[in-house]
Amino acid sequence: MADSRSYYTLIASLPSLPRHFDVERLPISAPRLEERLKMLTDEDAEIVRQWTGFLHWDRQILDRTDEDVAREYRRILGEISNPTLREMIEFRMDTRTIIAAVRRRRAGMPPPTGVGQWVEQIRNNYDHPEFRLQGRYDWIGKFDAALEHGEAIEAQRLLFDANYRHWARMAEQFTFSFEAVLLYLARWEIIDRWTSCDDESGKKRFETMITETLGDYANLFH
Amino acid sequence: MDGVLILLGWIGLFAPTALGAIGSILGCARAGQAACGAMLDVESGYGRFVGLSALPSSQIIYGIVVMFSLQRTITAENGPGLFGIGVLCGLALMFSAIYQGSCCASAINVSKHKPEIFGLSVAPAAIVEGFAVFAFIFALVLSGNIPA
Repeated sequence: MADSRSYYTLIASLPSLPRHFDVERLPISAPRLEERLKMLTDEDAEIVRQWTGFLHWDRQILDRTDEDVAREYRRILGEISNPTLREMIEFRMDTRTIIAAVRRRRAGMPPPTGVGQWVEQIRNNYDHPEFRLQGRYDWIGKFDAALEHGEAIEAQRLLFDANYRHWARMAEQFTFSFEAVLLYLARWEIIDRWTSCDDESGKKRFETMITETLGDYANLFH
Repeated sequence: MDGVLILLGWIGLFAPTALGAIGSILGCARAGQAACGAMLDVESGYGRFVGLSALPSSQIIYGIVVMFSLQRTITAENGPGLFGIGVLCGLALMFSAIYQGSCCASAINVSKHKPEIFGLSVAPAAIVEGFAVFAFIFALVLSGNIPA
């Protein structure tokens, strides 16, 4: 019965997440969260592994072409049968496509190849400030403005905020189910990324991007 | 035919206890699991979590009382009446216990970091209990009309 995928103990053992993601410290540390997730069944632990694998891939996307990303995205979706996880991944990739479109338009480039449901919409409305998607994505205009003013942190904050609110809205539909665990992890990951955003890690990330982009030439003037 | 009616009577006689027990098992298990989880996350207030998780046990008590009120020599005449009242009352008790368990689990989850809302968070579980009490009381009232 439905209880086989209910996680009363696990959900109740997790501290509640804050209303906004921009807090100073994580509500639960990564090792402790990992420990609690051992309560999951093997099947559900595998789905969580797929989610964390996707996040890892999603954050290491620099050295791939658009075609590589689209192919990998289709492969990942082909492997995943859990409908909530599919929805989460699709939302994340839709967001990524919109971000790519905003950035490419700002750089005077054509629309991105992109993946997801908004590719055609973006292509057809590339001249519109918000691709006529403002009804669903209220952050596009502000994100574009933040990029225009060179406010990278503000742009990042807008994205985190939009994603966090989306996951929180989705989480309202679930209480003690596995889906609630997945959505908890999605929001926890945003808080984790935000709390680990400091000058040092930003610099390291920037150096990684330079190395991946320029290869051996990155150290030309060292 | 009489045999079937008598069989139905026996089913109706024991249904409030059996279905009430199933409901209490599931309800207490849900709330109890949430109480165990909450204990991992907080440093105090364990007693009230455990106390709350026992709330869905009342349905089995109601079921036992209804069973005794229905108890009589079962015949072809009173078999259908016992079946109707017993099974329907049992189902009401079972579902109320299961969903009351969910209400208790939610109350435990939301009040672990906000003890000040503990009383208010128990209200949904109390309302569900009220419906179980309705089914219980009116089963007792109607059982008096079944021929002995």
